[in-house]
Amino acid sequence: MTVFLLMAAGVLAGGLGALLGIGGGIVLVPVLVLGFRIPLEQAVPASLMCVVANSCAAAASYVENKLSDLRLGLTLELATVMGAIVGGLVAAFVAEAMVAVVFGLFTLFVALQMLLLRNPVQEPATAANYVPGNYPLGISGSFVAGGLSALLGVGGGPLKVPLMTYGMRVPFKVASATSNLMVGVTGAASVAAYAWRGQLNLGLVAPLVVGVLAGASVGSRLMLKTPTAVLKKLFAAVLLIVAGQMLWKGGEGLWPSVWK
Amino acid sequence: MAERMEMSEAEPEIGSFHPSVMGPDAGPPPRNVQATSVVLQAGLPAELPREPITQPEALPRERRGARRLAAGERWIARVLRTGAVTSGTLFVASLALELLPRDESVHVAIDLLRKGAASMLLVTPVARLAMAGTVLGLRGEWRYAAIAAGVIGLLALAVGAGFQA
Repeated sequence: MTVFLLMAAGVLAGGLGALLGIGGGIVLVPVLVLGFRIPLEQAVPASLMCVVANSCAAAASYVENKLSDLRLGLTLELATVMGAIVGGLVAAFVAEAMVAVVFGLFTLFVALQMLLLRNPVQEPATAANYVPGNYPLGISGSFVAGGLSALLGVGGGPLKVPLMTYGMRVPFKVASATSNLMVGVTGAASVAAYAWRGQLNLGLVAPLVVGVLAGASVGSRLMLKTPTAVLKKLFAAVLLIVAGQMLWKGGEGLWPSVWK
Repeated sequence: MAERMEMSEAEPEIGSFHPSVMGPDAGPPPRNVQATSVVLQAGLPAELPREPITQPEALPRERRGARRLAAGERWIARVLRTGAVTSGTLFVASLALELLPRDESVHVAIDLLRKGAASMLLVTPVARLAMAGTVLGLRGEWRYAAIAAGVIGLLALAVGAGFQA
């Protein structure tokens, strides 16, 4: 019974991750920790494995449909990995709670902007019909996203999709598909690090990955048909959850010192 | 000889028409062909006959590049799909084996299948990265090939050093 419930959680995470380009870890970690009482040390690597599975399954369809921008993905990937390495190096010197609160407030701002603002411009349907702009902003933002990924354990998707959409004028669906392509590489590196430390529980991963692959397959087909406005609202809702998680995480570290 | 070969390569793309003529429908009516050709032969400089050789050559090269990129993208999609499907199949097989009565051999088989599936899944995005770099490099976009190589190198460094990228 538990195996089927884990598969169902995987389907949900895979579907949502493929639709929005966020990998799905944002859904899986709370579900595994709160719903299945799995320790965080096992839930995080398992969810990262699912992010990789999600990226492989969904990106295959997006690359085939020319929705993923390979060049943009490669460029931002380099900045993300560099940011992640720097984030890992400076982690010991940075107050994690403060970073979480700042990131939470930023995510809240982006979510509200997505919910409240209307985008009247008709977006191009494929990666071939536009030229991304403002590369310096995209590269520096990806560097920050990589750093936050290492500092806070959040995937780069929730930051990179708005960055590409609003900062670089990339169509939302292309940004989402390109982000999906990118999260697989950074996720694989993270999982490899966990696996080396012996923290990857393959008994937990197996049903989750099967569910995620099924969900990602459905999600990647749905994304092509879903209107961009609907995807943006869904993304904003997910960002609100991320903001809540980050503010909670930061609050746990900051409020005690404030009350004293 | 070389010119002839170039012309013969270009012929399937444009047929027997001048490059300024977009298709068979755009040409003059058949009864005017003779008159037009007489005017062209008489009035144009000697360099003109070379133009149809250079112009059609440029177009197929562009098309070849685009075709190569499209084929490369199909290969990238195949790599990703093969990795996902193979890994999923191995995980499903391991779950199916859990239904069998537990003994040592079944336990070993489950463990092997899961390790194989996980390894396959982890290698797939890196293979995709390498393939994207190769495809763009073959197209002459060396900057992106170098970026892909840089990302792979940094990932190896990060994993080797134990950082979570």
